[in-house]
Amino acid sequence: MRKCLYILIIVFSLMGCQDVIEVDLDTEPPRLTVDALIRIDTSESITKARIKVGLSSSFFEANQAVQVNQMIIQNLDYVPSGPLDQNFIILNETQLGIYEGSRNTAFFTSGELNLTIDYNGEFFLAKTRFAPSVPFNNIIQGDATLFSGDETELIVSFTDNVNRDDFYIFDFDFNEYLVSEDKFYQGQEFEFSYFYDNLKVGQTVTISILGADESFYKYMDQLIVQSGNSQGPFQVPVATVRGNLINVTGIDNTAVVDNVQSSNNFALGYFAVVQEFKQQIMIE
Amino acid sequence: MKQTILLSSLIFLFFATHSFAQQKYTLSGTVTEESSNETLIGVTVAFPELGTGVITNEYGFYSITLPEGEYKLRVGYLGFEDIVKSIKLNASSKIDFKLIEAAEQLEEIVVTQNIEKMDIRKPQMSVNTLSVETIKKIPVILGEADIIKSILLLPGVTNAGEGASGFNVRGGAVDQNLILLDEAIIFNSSHLFGFFSVFNPDAIKDIKLYKGGIPARYGGRVSSVLDIFQKEGNSKEFKVNGGIGAVASRLLVEGPIKEDKAAFLIAGRGSYAHLFLPLFDLDNTAYFYDLNTKLNYKINDKNSIFLSGYFGRDVFGISESFVNTYGNAVGNFRWNHLFTDKLFSNLSVIYSDYYYGLKLDFVGFNWNSGIKNFNVKYDFKHYLNDKLQVNYGINNIYYQFNPGKIEPSNDESGIIEDQLTQKFANEFAAYVDFEQRVTDNLSLGYGLRFSNFIRLGQDELNVYENNNPVNFDPFLLIYQEADPIDVVNPGRGANLATFNNLEPRVSLAYTINENSSVKASYTRLAQYLHLLSNTNSPTPLDVWTPSGPFIKPQLLDQYALGYFKNIDGGAYSFETEVFYKDVENRIDYIDGANLIANDAIEQVILNGEARAYGLEILFRKNEGKFQGWLAYTLSKSEQRTPGRPPFVDNGRSNLETGINFGEWYNTPYDKPHDISLFASFELNKKWSINSNFVYQTGQPTNFPIGQFEFQGLTVPYYGLRNKQRLPDYHRIDLSATLTPERNKTRKVQGEWIFSIYNLYNRRNAASINFRRNQDTGVNEAVRTSIFGIVPAVTYNFKF
Repeated sequence: MRKCLYILIIVFSLMGCQDVIEVDLDTEPPRLTVDALIRIDTSESITKARIKVGLSSSFFEANQAVQVNQMIIQNLDYVPSGPLDQNFIILNETQLGIYEGSRNTAFFTSGELNLTIDYNGEFFLAKTRFAPSVPFNNIIQGDATLFSGDETELIVSFTDNVNRDDFYIFDFDFNEYLVSEDKFYQGQEFEFSYFYDNLKVGQTVTISILGADESFYKYMDQLIVQSGNSQGPFQVPVATVRGNLINVTGIDNTAVVDNVQSSNNFALGYFAVVQEFKQQIMIE
Repeated sequence: MKQTILLSSLIFLFFATHSFAQQKYTLSGTVTEESSNETLIGVTVAFPELGTGVITNEYGFYSITLPEGEYKLRVGYLGFEDIVKSIKLNASSKIDFKLIEAAEQLEEIVVTQNIEKMDIRKPQMSVNTLSVETIKKIPVILGEADIIKSILLLPGVTNAGEGASGFNVRGGAVDQNLILLDEAIIFNSSHLFGFFSVFNPDAIKDIKLYKGGIPARYGGRVSSVLDIFQKEGNSKEFKVNGGIGAVASRLLVEGPIKEDKAAFLIAGRGSYAHLFLPLFDLDNTAYFYDLNTKLNYKINDKNSIFLSGYFGRDVFGISESFVNTYGNAVGNFRWNHLFTDKLFSNLSVIYSDYYYGLKLDFVGFNWNSGIKNFNVKYDFKHYLNDKLQVNYGINNIYYQFNPGKIEPSNDESGIIEDQLTQKFANEFAAYVDFEQRVTDNLSLGYGLRFSNFIRLGQDELNVYENNNPVNFDPFLLIYQEADPIDVVNPGRGANLATFNNLEPRVSLAYTINENSSVKASYTRLAQYLHLLSNTNSPTPLDVWTPSGPFIKPQLLDQYALGYFKNIDGGAYSFETEVFYKDVENRIDYIDGANLIANDAIEQVILNGEARAYGLEILFRKNEGKFQGWLAYTLSKSEQRTPGRPPFVDNGRSNLETGINFGEWYNTPYDKPHDISLFASFELNKKWSINSNFVYQTGQPTNFPIGQFEFQGLTVPYYGLRNKQRLPDYHRIDLSATLTPERNKTRKVQGEWIFSIYNLYNRRNAASINFRRNQDTGVNEAVRTSIFGIVPAVTYNFKF
């Protein structure tokens, strides 16, 4: 439904005019940001987890990559496959701000996964579970347009899994995302159109359908809203999108059981492990 | 049971006071306009020797009881010729007055229009009246005379800017305004997302805006009442008037069905299809239309009936794949009955609904939502004597809410039909309201409204652990939707929640001298319906939701104090008021709440509170060739949602931070300074010039305090809510009306209106958005402004 709102908004943003202006912004000290979306191709036996860390910046400056003291993914439910296997991975810095580690795909696809980051003595913890997805039935190019007449239509279809409540995140390339839940098409073959603004003939587009749990779905929905280009005259309510990283420094579950007293001490970003199906299409 | 007790005590009261009026006689009747038999609201029937008088009600009726004697009587309504008459009152009698429009009588037009004249003696305060004549003079965007845009020029009234729906009164929210069209509740007052209002000014007789001191006969919204009366129709002769404008054309036809007895009125208005055609290709449409109808039949001296209807729709379409339709429909039957010459009654039976429909073919579904209500009202006005009037009545409203229904739009669609749980509620109210002149200097108004709201059963109801639909995460410090532990079917006959409220209303006026008075008022109001909206101004897609097990009714306390002065015999008037109000249980949304198609809205709502206070000044020049007003408002409007009281779970006390860490924050409609100037100058018989100037503090907004990246997305993030502001809003509008001189000799009378909106082309920001430019990869702040300078021409005619 949110998509419809955008369309209404687009109609009206065309009426008004937009220009870029100078604005003085307040800033706050940089925060740790974590981009820990691990996309899994379950047909591969080994999966490489790649996590990006950085420091937030004021809106008009660029984020800086940062070094952390330690980064571990642990799966307490995982039964090691042999004496050389363990139930955790220590991720190594491969370049500033990039941490990587590889393991059997099975390590990621069942059980509760804990990501722990030690950043200058502050400990951050995030928990997640593997979220499955479904493959595309097909992706074809259509000839419909929306507003300008120049859009490129891609018609995407997939069959929802009837046995579970699914949440999907579509990665349409070019940092364009869309979220969807199966509330209104449980178990159905579902087809919808996506419109691109500036595609050229001969260009190849890679489209992914990712699984998500409900909270990651909501998180991505919020990110899309907050980063959106099509907000138009209705100002979308702003929010600080908090991910699933908890600052656990000092929480001992006896004297300190929550973060209510240290409300400003948090990291941004999300840790999610999701199944991905990918397909490419060449624009004609 | 409570209702009956209240009613019987009310009837007792009326009999108790009744016994005073003995050797007195009652003069009553109706005041109408001579040429059309249209009843006139707010006409003064004054007895200068006695220093007393009465004002006609919404149906043009008056009644006054005086001791036997010979009196001079003056019937006055500015813009009309006064009637001065001597009467000998030695028996109760009925006199109807027919007033003649001043302009038609005189060769030389002397402008003395002052229909909005302030009554300094009545205890009623915080009220503004605008005549349709004034509304039509106010320059507006694209020349389309507009009721809502006109009231924005009054003190204490603002909105979120161009292209924003609704209006905000005294720091209140848009959903806190009760908008009544011939007593029917209108849920959405805007066409085209707020560019125009849904009321066709040609079909409107009178509007009244109560910002405080709201009489007990009104209830259900905590901020204001906008009471709009449609014309009844001309029962003397057939008349047509209309207009051709840049956006829409209008046509009104009225005439007698049976002379002096029955009349009809039909008014239609339609914008041109493809209104914004140049912007799109030919497949797209965007237009609106509305239709007002009214029938009245005067059965005899004691009985009149009225039928009125309104139907309006907005339609947007983008080829066949996207069609959006929404609007109000209202039907209304009323019966005026005079029990005695002192007791006037009106029974209304009203149906009204708001419909929102959407067809999205490229996703494969149709969507519709809406609200329906059936409303029965029985109101009595009892003119006991010249010092005491009592109004009392009952009102029952049954509501049906459809939060949304989705269905497949074509055979191939994978969408499964689904109806979000419909909600039902019943609101009952009984009230009594006294208006009493205690001494020559002191008048009192006091009343009580009892309201009872029952949230009726529905097909599915979520059950939550600890009855708590919103969880607080003590580590992330955010509120999150709780998962229901069960879903029950209470059945439509069940009673899910009951709320009873007593709403006292008190006001007083103390007349310091002939020309000045002080007034004070206290108002308590309960509001049981909430519009779910977390954008800066409501969108047509927003749905209403009733109070119930998880959402409490909003409760308002408002205090106001004012000083009122007529200068130079009413040629000028000055009024100033201070007010303070607070609203309990103002709903607030958790961060990231999704309100659309949400079947469990309780999971994203917390009950907070709101408060507003301010000072309003209104200086008017009411007479002469140059008329107008200057309004200034200084105010503050805030809300907060502290953490709920800690509860103990597993031996731990669960503390919450609240929304915005529990601190007060500016509401999106907090505008500390608000200046409006309206000036109207009658240059000569041919030309008149009108102008507005508006200045407002920019509305609160949020600028990011930082940004981060996730999967290639640039995400701005924010600090405490509504700390920053958009740049100040200001503009000047100008219009000139040309009335050709040859009009006099012609049957068809025409006038041209030339208008310029936003004369100095100020680019007022409707919003500032922060985003990464996709082409350059650079982050930027983007200002959206809706209208620059907009010239327009409108032609109006009547015959």
